[in-house]
Amino acid sequence: MFSTLLNQILSDSTGQPFGSLQLFGPELTLSAGIVLMLLARLCGIDRRLPTHWIALWMTFIAFSLGVFQFVEFSRSDLGTVEYFSGLMVFDRFSALFRLGLLLFLIFTITLTVISGIPDRDDAPDFYSLLMGASVGMLLMGGANHLLMLFLGVEMSSVPSYAMVGFLKGRKASSEAALKFVVYGAGAAGVMLYGISLIAGLLGTAEFPQIAIQLQTLFAGESAALSNPAIRLLMLGILMLLVGFAFKLSVVPFHFWTPDVFQGASAEVGGFLSVASKSAAFVLLVRTVLAFVTPASSADLGQIYLTLGLGIGVIAAITATFGNLAAYSQTNMKRLLAYSTIAHSGYMLMAIAALIVLRAGLEPGSTGYDDRCARAVEGLLYYLAVYFFMNLGAFAITALIRNETFSEEIEDYAGLGFQAPILAIGMGMCLFSLVGLPPLGGFVGKLFIFAAVYDSGFVHPLMWGILAIGGLNTVFSLFYYIRVMKTMYLQERPATARALRVPAWSYSGAFVLILTLPLLLPLGTAVQLVSGVAKRAAMSLFAGL
Amino acid sequence: MGSTGETLRNLLTLAWLLPLIGFLVEIYALCWTHRLSKAPAYLAVGCIAAGFVCSFTALMTWGVQTDWVVFQSTHHDEHHEGDHHGEQHHADEHDAETAHVAEPAKTDEHHKHAEKAVASAPADALAATHADHAAEHGDGHSEEHAAKPTVFAGTFYNLGSFGPLKISLDWYIDSLTLVMFTMVTFIATCIHIFAMGYMQDELTEDYVDHEVHLANHEHFHRPGRFYRFFSFLSLFCFSMLGLVLAGNIFQVFIFWELVGVCSYLLIGFYVERKSASTAANKAFIMNRVGDFGFLIGLMIIWTSLGTFQFFDSVDAEGHTSQVGLFHLIRGTTGEMQLSADGQQVLLQNEVGELLTAGENLRSIPYWLLVTAGLGIFAGCIGKSAQFPLQTWLPDAMEGPTPVSALVHSATMVAAGVYLAGRFYPVFTPEVLLVIAYIGCITLFLAATIAVVATDIKKVLAYSTISQLGYMMLGIGVGGWGAGLFHLVTHAFFKSLLFLCSGSVIAGCHHEQDMRKMGGLWKKMPITAATMLVGVIAIAGLAIPGSQAVLGETFAFSGFHSKDAIVATALAYTKLNAVHGLLFLAPLVTAGITAFYMFRLWFMTFAGAPQDEHVYDHAHENPAVMTGPLLVLSLLAATCAIGGESGPLYKLLALSEAVPAGASTAPSSPVTIVLPTHGQVHAVHATAGKFALLAAGLGTLVAYLLYCRKALNPAEIGRQFSGVYGFLVDKWRFDELYDFLFVKPAHSVGRWCQGFDKVVLDGVLHGASSLVMLVSTWDRWFDERMIDGLVNLVGQVTGQAGRSLRVVQTGHLRQYVMWIAVGVVVLFAALFTALPK
Repeated sequence: MFSTLLNQILSDSTGQPFGSLQLFGPELTLSAGIVLMLLARLCGIDRRLPTHWIALWMTFIAFSLGVFQFVEFSRSDLGTVEYFSGLMVFDRFSALFRLGLLLFLIFTITLTVISGIPDRDDAPDFYSLLMGASVGMLLMGGANHLLMLFLGVEMSSVPSYAMVGFLKGRKASSEAALKFVVYGAGAAGVMLYGISLIAGLLGTAEFPQIAIQLQTLFAGESAALSNPAIRLLMLGILMLLVGFAFKLSVVPFHFWTPDVFQGASAEVGGFLSVASKSAAFVLLVRTVLAFVTPASSADLGQIYLTLGLGIGVIAAITATFGNLAAYSQTNMKRLLAYSTIAHSGYMLMAIAALIVLRAGLEPGSTGYDDRCARAVEGLLYYLAVYFFMNLGAFAITALIRNETFSEEIEDYAGLGFQAPILAIGMGMCLFSLVGLPPLGGFVGKLFIFAAVYDSGFVHPLMWGILAIGGLNTVFSLFYYIRVMKTMYLQERPATARALRVPAWSYSGAFVLILTLPLLLPLGTAVQLVSGVAKRAAMSLFAGL
Repeated sequence: MGSTGETLRNLLTLAWLLPLIGFLVEIYALCWTHRLSKAPAYLAVGCIAAGFVCSFTALMTWGVQTDWVVFQSTHHDEHHEGDHHGEQHHADEHDAETAHVAEPAKTDEHHKHAEKAVASAPADALAATHADHAAEHGDGHSEEHAAKPTVFAGTFYNLGSFGPLKISLDWYIDSLTLVMFTMVTFIATCIHIFAMGYMQDELTEDYVDHEVHLANHEHFHRPGRFYRFFSFLSLFCFSMLGLVLAGNIFQVFIFWELVGVCSYLLIGFYVERKSASTAANKAFIMNRVGDFGFLIGLMIIWTSLGTFQFFDSVDAEGHTSQVGLFHLIRGTTGEMQLSADGQQVLLQNEVGELLTAGENLRSIPYWLLVTAGLGIFAGCIGKSAQFPLQTWLPDAMEGPTPVSALVHSATMVAAGVYLAGRFYPVFTPEVLLVIAYIGCITLFLAATIAVVATDIKKVLAYSTISQLGYMMLGIGVGGWGAGLFHLVTHAFFKSLLFLCSGSVIAGCHHEQDMRKMGGLWKKMPITAATMLVGVIAIAGLAIPGSQAVLGETFAFSGFHSKDAIVATALAYTKLNAVHGLLFLAPLVTAGITAFYMFRLWFMTFAGAPQDEHVYDHAHENPAVMTGPLLVLSLLAATCAIGGESGPLYKLLALSEAVPAGASTAPSSPVTIVLPTHGQVHAVHATAGKFALLAAGLGTLVAYLLYCRKALNPAEIGRQFSGVYGFLVDKWRFDELYDFLFVKPAHSVGRWCQGFDKVVLDGVLHGASSLVMLVSTWDRWFDERMIDGLVNLVGQVTGQAGRSLRVVQTGHLRQYVMWIAVGVVVLFAALFTALPK
């Protein structure tokens, strides 16, 4: 029985040059790494070989596989490959995401090695959780089925809960973990309910089928609110989106974020804020494209347009809320948590723009496809920038914490002169988060705002959202600058612990490697990354 | 003959550039030597002496090359016993000369050098002169001398081209250039050597300037400036030589200004003395006034004639590419061609044909040419200290005495006369008349002032002005050769006189007041003797009747040259009776000159010592100073030997570009007839007698007054106190200029200052107050409104942030409740928004 299944899986050739297991290679490698680490502890190898080497090497192998796949796939001239009998999908989009995530994982593991957050005993557990969550996120990136969607979200969430509470014996940490778990469970419940409603209504859970089913469902029928099927569908979609909103900490489902980020270690915070959000956004793009197609009827298009505008409004509210709430924060991690919320808002604007552009199309038309692709491209670029600037901010917070044992902003006073490399790196990250040229944050914001501007031609409300987005950039300046002000314009108290972080230490080099890409290529040689992002985004649109 | 041109060019260029090298080394060499070193002096003397050798060699080369044609063409033979011999000689020469004619014609074919086609303008003019002459005397053979070019010219370097207009560095060598070079380098060498002794006291690290009184009743101390003095002297010589060598009027202007700068530097050598710095400024500013005219002349020439060059420039094929100034105006015959109505001067080419521009003849308006000539002459007035710009020269005595000697003989003031001579072809008869009258006024005016001057150098300064007036007069009345003859002879005896005065001053420990001297001939016999030679030379004394014995009048150089000028003036006034003053003034002034020069000599050297202190300390100077005096006195006595039949005059006269008498312009507004050489000769003896008589009278009066004390000069001064005071005040020119220019300039300046203070500053202050007001208001607006707004926004957002914080209670129960509430609210909102 098992062997037949195994044979079936092994021989599953998807009718393409790439087999399912072949395509699933990186995830399998990561899983093998988890097993290896756990076995190593069982055999006591971790006494001799530090666990992070296993984690790092396995991740690196997975990354290499990802690169290999990316290159091979780019050569093969294939558009989309479904595997595991349609549960998963592989295209340039997911290949790129996979590369980015695995690279991010390498960075995170390196950071934890430098900052030494899991001690030797806990290291196998920590890296198992980290890699497990990463596998979940990879699943999210390639999900082609509502079930896989849920599975991916949960698989990435559950290890996260444990990682948040990983700082054992610290009350805040445990409390944060508890809140995260309960909140996550609630959101998951709502989302699962939504999924079941949609699946029940449409009779399918496969993404490619959803549009077709919608077509047949509302063929000849009014797709107005008076139609109970529409109400049901809307309710389902809304609940599905609540699940996403939780992952993305979108208002009003953001409550967990500040508490969790403050309670968790900065390394975990950085991982969560970048990795899980990127995965969620990638998955959201897939979901949106599955539901909102130009083939939908005109009425349905109208409904989607409303939905898109609603998401836009929520995005604007989220960005504003995140920025305003960050004002009065005194803890760096908490400040970054609110900043994360705000940035989710910005990125959600790209999703809103995507929906609005797509819904505004005439049935069967592909006229806006290039503009939709540009919205996705912008989102990808922003994620790439976000990778560096947010991880950089969290990493530097962690490095400072290692030196000063404090994450309070007021304790950063005078750091600019004691640890210039950290302060300059922090400055680069923060200014990039604000979106000032010539740093990557500016370019990313420019891409997203351009997409929102494009969508304004479909519905002018988007221009209002664009204006709020611009205004938010100004708002955000204040609290980011405040950190810089503390570091550079305030004297370091004589009683404060002196710092020594030379640029040629591991920490300094890590900060440099992490922050320099913000300037080059992301900030100045835009074509380098945007070209890749563009090709990945275009692979999602059959018309291109 | 191109090779001759090249040889001459190379020699003169070397002579010209050596002082520049000397200057550069001297001025920068302080790092190799020290202030006490005499090396700069040796270097400067070496450079200028080498320059003299080069110049003299060039003169000899030129002479050999031209077969000393100058001495074969005897213009004035007819007045001497050798008359027939001369004619015979002339005739003999005929065959030889014709033999020479073919040769240059042949070599011309091969010749592509620029200097080849050389403006043989003067040569042609010379030919014309001969023709003229020949016609006059019914002489048959005339053309032969034209064959040998005596003028060489070419281009060193092209500075820039503006369409057809070109500015270049050119060279122009004729006998005038060569004589000037030789004279300048020789005199400068003497002066340099003399200065080595005179400037001895500058060889110190701590020079005490007794003329400068500081506030604390001490004298001014400074390091010695021996090297600087000699470097400036070298630069001065370089500038002067460059001016003489220049082949176009613009280049002349460049060196003209350089000469001005050098004189400024040297007159203001004792810069700490207020009088010296003022004098330097005065010299410089007065010269700028003249240069203003010069510039106007330059612009007219540039725009109307299209060239600055004196000579015709020749392209690679040997064709004339640009006709030079002299040919343009005078053609080959030396005559201006006027249009029918006399309002236009028609331009001519190198063979004397009229130039055309399309259908029309090329021409320049007559009045414009007059203006150009007057403009250029204005420059000469400034440089040569002619009326009305003469006041700077006496003040220029503030410089060290060797500088005065140089300025007054070979360089600065000579430049003005030289230019007037060089540019003679472009001057119209009207301009010449102006020149004559300016010279006439100047010579008389300066001489009268010299009569009452008591400062030994001031007397010499005024005599210089007076003598320059003679030169200008000579040129103005058509005696081109006479004027330049006097320039050269004057250079010798005036440098001698100045060096003698310098010797006296040095010997008397910087005492310059003649009233405190007297009887010094016992103390300094060499100086006294040499100065007597100079005085006799400038006074123009001669031994009457010596002509009968010696074949010519025995006299020192000044007699011959002044005689030539007076004779020309007499011939001129005979032809133009209206201008009789032009003869009377120089004649009278000749007497005055003799008077004041002998007055100077008698007061200084003869009689009883006036001031025991000065007398007791007086001493003869060392050989380094007396040596040059002896050499110069020899030349001052003999350089003009032979008078107008002598070598010097003939050399100069060869370069006369316009035949005497050629400038008659009957149709011009003023009818002037210039005398021909023949007419001058006709009256020569008469004029000579008159001049000698005047000089003798002057000498006699001086002897009676200052040696025999027949009358008390001071008594005469009191008797004619009005005239005396007027003369002592230098005709009150300084006061007049003070009243006419300085005071008005000051009041205009004060008015401008007032305007500046009251109006402009008022406007500025008002504007600044307004800006202050606006900015105050702006600040208020900024602080209250803008900042207020920003602060308000900040407060509101901060408040909003804090209030948002309230929502974040930290209670898990509430969070979970928010999920439910959120879903419901969103659902409600969606259903409200969705299209029904």
